[in-house]
Amino acid sequence: MMQVDAVRKQFGAVTAVDSVSFTVPDGAITGLLGPNGAGKTTTLRMLYALLQPDAGQVLVDGIDATLHPQEAQGRMGVLPDISGLYPRLTAREHIAYFAELQGLSSRETAARAEALITLLDMQAIADRRVAGFSHGERTKVALARALVHHPQNVLLDEPTNGLDVMSTRAVRRLIRQLRDEGRAVLFSSHVMQEVSALCDHIVVIAHGRVVATGSPDALREQTGHHNLEDAFVALVGLDAEADA
Amino acid sequence: MSARTLTQSLAVMRKELRDGLRDRRAIFSLVFGAAVGPLLVGGILTFMAGRVRDAQDVTIPVVGSTHAPALVQWLRQQPGVTVTPGPADPEDAIRRQAEDVVVVIPDEFEAAFAAYRPAEINVLADSSRTAARPKQQRVRALLSRYGSEVAALRLVARGVSPSVVTPVRPIEVDIASSQQRAAMIIDFIPLYIMLAAFTGGMLIATDATAGERERGSLEALLVTPASRRALAAGKWMAAGVFSCTSVALTTVLCVLVVNRIPLQDFGVRLFIDQWKVAGLVGVVLPMCALAPAMQLYLSTFAKSFKEAQSYLGFLVLVPMLPGLIGSLAPIRGLWWMYAVPFLGQHLLLADIMGGKPMPAIHVLLSVAATAAVAVGLFQGFARLLTRERIIFGR
Repeated sequence: MMQVDAVRKQFGAVTAVDSVSFTVPDGAITGLLGPNGAGKTTTLRMLYALLQPDAGQVLVDGIDATLHPQEAQGRMGVLPDISGLYPRLTAREHIAYFAELQGLSSRETAARAEALITLLDMQAIADRRVAGFSHGERTKVALARALVHHPQNVLLDEPTNGLDVMSTRAVRRLIRQLRDEGRAVLFSSHVMQEVSALCDHIVVIAHGRVVATGSPDALREQTGHHNLEDAFVALVGLDAEADA
Repeated sequence: MSARTLTQSLAVMRKELRDGLRDRRAIFSLVFGAAVGPLLVGGILTFMAGRVRDAQDVTIPVVGSTHAPALVQWLRQQPGVTVTPGPADPEDAIRRQAEDVVVVIPDEFEAAFAAYRPAEINVLADSSRTAARPKQQRVRALLSRYGSEVAALRLVARGVSPSVVTPVRPIEVDIASSQQRAAMIIDFIPLYIMLAAFTGGMLIATDATAGERERGSLEALLVTPASRRALAAGKWMAAGVFSCTSVALTTVLCVLVVNRIPLQDFGVRLFIDQWKVAGLVGVVLPMCALAPAMQLYLSTFAKSFKEAQSYLGFLVLVPMLPGLIGSLAPIRGLWWMYAVPFLGQHLLLADIMGGKPMPAIHVLLSVAATAAVAVGLFQGFARLLTRERIIFGR
């Protein structure tokens, strides 16, 4: 479980995130929804302890991520916004490298790599260098290295961005599986359909603030829009922006 | 350092080494950086040795040899000398560089010689051609020796001892310029070994920092529970391994080159035994820790691989500084100078090459000071990795 409590982050004069609070419960998929530039990535970065909040607190399974970043990070599997790979390493070597950094033994590493390669359907490309990989293949490698240590908490920053249909479905399947295993899954997206198809809870964020939280149905009710996309537009105030 | 931190940094080191060994640029920079110095030394010395030998084995084109059969006969008797008929147009042959030197004996030679008047001989040469100079000097020396031998015979024929006309006999101590130049070129060897410490790990250092950021793999790496210090240490060790390999390679190549070239041709005696090699490597080894630490620290500031490369290009000039300053005004080794990285190594390496004794305190000062600066830079590098501005770019 991850708890974000009134965090704020300022870059110079710009307040990127302001008193954002939400909870990511175990065994559920939480969607962080917001337009580009709303503060999703900044919030996630504070969650996985690469940015320090100027105010507020982040708890990962009860551990304060600011005070004990390494312990908190050990309980998280993260797919960052930009997930670059090492072009000269193979997919399997990527998984093994991150397994070692997570403290897995060499036997565990080999077994876990094999399991992830099967799970993500990467058998054909596992021992090829990633230099020539397609976007979908790269995302799979990045996901595998994020999940190598069976993290209780999973954070995915726009995981399906730019993926084709087949890859998107594979990622969605994986996300559901992680939920069914009882993990806390948080994923961010600016795509409405994505969120409504997957999420148990939605946190809508705009201009660095949480503007609504709840299940997809609750959000529809709250805004009076039957269509979730209309609900989203109403929530983040895009109408007003378009008029301005 | 806990066992876990150590395991993690070793994992990082192995990954960076594997990555580096698959990177053609990294291998090229390692091999080329290590080989260019010794090859340069070897090439120049071989070329110079060839010229010295050329001067000893000389072919002299003579125009008008029929005018001075005795002289030509004498020349032929000198060791290493071959006389050939000269070209039809000697001046043109020199200008076209077909010949280095041509001896022209004019028609009047015989008459003047017989009349005891100074008989002129033209030695045609292009003095601007440094490569031809030893040969020209050899020809002039041969002709003037012939002159003095004839003079001595003429005096003896008149009952005068030749020593009467030799009031002063300078004994030449020949410090040939080629000898000096050879010594100068050999003096560069320590510098090449120092430079190898820089070129060896350069690509790894930039790839592991600026490259990691440019590819966007840094964020994923920093989210792992490995401490920044463990990550930094792994990268440092990997660059250090490349740097050490480069130093070892350069040293071995330099020893091979120096021992292969017949340096006695220059009258240079250079003796590189295993103790000297051990001394050279021992003095430079702390540089294999300092150079990568400097490179990692600097490249972490760079936004891209290319930007880092241009920073590090300038860094290579630093080990050259003491040598440059020393060539303007000789540096006298005061004790504190040994505690200055680069300067200390410069002085110690010069001592080793010159076969001078090295007080242990000087070596200790240099090693300790260099290691301390290296550790300081490493700490700085590890701390940079915790900065939000560095992680996410500016």
